[in-house]
Amino acid sequence: MRRSLFAWLTGVLLLLAVVVPRPVWGQGRWDPNTPKLPMARTWEAYKATLPPYTPSRTPDGVPDLQGTWGGPGGAGGDDIEDHGYVDVTTPPQESFVSDPPDGKIPYTPWALARRNEIRAGLARGWPGETGERLYADPNTYCVVGIGPRGGGIGEIVQQPGVVIMMTPRVHRVVPTDGRPHMSDRAKSWRGSSRGRWDGNSLVIDIRGLNGKQWFDSVGNFYSENTRMIERLTMADANTIDYELTMEDPTIYARPWKINYPLRRAGTGGTDNSTGKYAWRSTVAVDPDPYAREAWENVCNEGVANNVRSMYSLGFKWFRGVTPPR
Amino acid sequence: MDPRVRVLAAAVAAAWFGVATAAAQTSSTYTPPRTRDGHPDLQGVWQVLNTAAWDLEDHGARLGVPAGRGVVEGGAIPYQPWALAKRQENARGRATLDPETKCWLPGVPRVTYMGYPFRIVQQREKVTILYEYVGAIRFLYMNGNPHPRGPIDWFLGDSRARWEGNTLVVDVVHFTDRTWLDRAGNFHSEELHVVERYTPTGPDHMLYEVTIEDPKVFTRPWKMSMPLYRRQERDIELLEYECMSYLLEETWDRPEAFPFK
Repeated sequence: MRRSLFAWLTGVLLLLAVVVPRPVWGQGRWDPNTPKLPMARTWEAYKATLPPYTPSRTPDGVPDLQGTWGGPGGAGGDDIEDHGYVDVTTPPQESFVSDPPDGKIPYTPWALARRNEIRAGLARGWPGETGERLYADPNTYCVVGIGPRGGGIGEIVQQPGVVIMMTPRVHRVVPTDGRPHMSDRAKSWRGSSRGRWDGNSLVIDIRGLNGKQWFDSVGNFYSENTRMIERLTMADANTIDYELTMEDPTIYARPWKINYPLRRAGTGGTDNSTGKYAWRSTVAVDPDPYAREAWENVCNEGVANNVRSMYSLGFKWFRGVTPPR
Repeated sequence: MDPRVRVLAAAVAAAWFGVATAAAQTSSTYTPPRTRDGHPDLQGVWQVLNTAAWDLEDHGARLGVPAGRGVVEGGAIPYQPWALAKRQENARGRATLDPETKCWLPGVPRVTYMGYPFRIVQQREKVTILYEYVGAIRFLYMNGNPHPRGPIDWFLGDSRARWEGNTLVVDVVHFTDRTWLDRAGNFHSEELHVVERYTPTGPDHMLYEVTIEDPKVFTRPWKMSMPLYRRQERDIELLEYECMSYLLEETWDRPEAFPFK
């Protein structure tokens, strides 16, 4: 079973890093001298140097985003805001936030205080913690999410009226036929997605999120009132510019955005040793005939020990935030 | 005989003998539309309409469980004597023993008849089935690779597919023994070998036939079959059933119910 997971990992980069809970993924990987890993700032600067790109079209005449795509790169989702070296599992990394330009999530004062309270109750041995065990990262329990926590885009298949995204853990089928959203009463972990084509971009409007997942492992949250808008645009033949906009006046002072590149599988990603993009495959042709297959990724089936530990340590189940009215 | 008469005769016979006939033969007079790659187009959202999730065999009703006709050819699953005893034990302890209560991937073919919709997506080198139930996904490869070398204990097995006429035939091996076949305690071992056959019988119907082989548990290979129905709602879409999340949310603050103590 393990052999399968690793075979697939070599083929499709570190897509699973965001799906597999931290304790499974392993510890002790990062050196204090690791260069700061690139995210929104470096990506935006790099993107500005690219010539305009016109994607090829599907037979239906819409931009062709099909293929298998990696994740955001970097070290995974330990903190989407800019941070220095914290410990062996958390190297320095730029913010995922491209707007506002300071890279900080524009929380309202109430929401920022709540985020800080959650962060102080992670009991990870990080500076500034109170020692209280409040909530564990929801990913510890294999829950699904959107964007940095979505488990990646995976493979995109386009058919008339629909865009399909498939990873070994989850799938998403985004209607692009103009149908209305489900009622906002119907909440779910990944919400109700409705897509449309805007020039060279696929724009996906997400509503009905249950607000119980985080953006990262340190408590940066959204709420059940949050509307998210994804914008997927081919930046060049092998890169999707992934943009995620959050709107929620109940917890954010203004809309804000995340941007990062999704690289076509097998064409490189972030080089964690230099802190720069390495836009080339390190393995020219994988001789393993199974390298391009997506094999079973079990998560819930092995999560019992995580659940047991977090429960017995007294962590609570995160039920979302309730901002003051 | 005039070919038109022959087709008519076949259609009348199929209608006359109904499911019994359909179960006995996988050929169908229906010619499905083709994909761009020239294969039968099975794409869309499908669902079963039966009580196999509760019990593969004939069963009476009880609280919350509808009575139902079995889907097993010949009526009874041919268990070895020890396995029959184990099945009864499973049934008695179902509330805690059934892997469904742990929210795991449900195995094959159980994932098909959980009662949730699933979507078939066809590409040149694989057919993918997206299931609403726990967001499960199966890649049925037809890229020329054989089953990888085992042993591998996957919940949904390793699926290699091929076309036989209009029928999609899927050979599935490399299973864990941690899944069951239904809520009545019907089970298998890690030596399970499943062959699924998906045959379109009309624009909105498929016949789903499964051969189950497991020399550790059964005395011989056996078959089940059931129709699959295309969901007719114009706005049908796969929604979310993230079982584990709901289980944790429901039980986290109720120590008596929490299943992971």
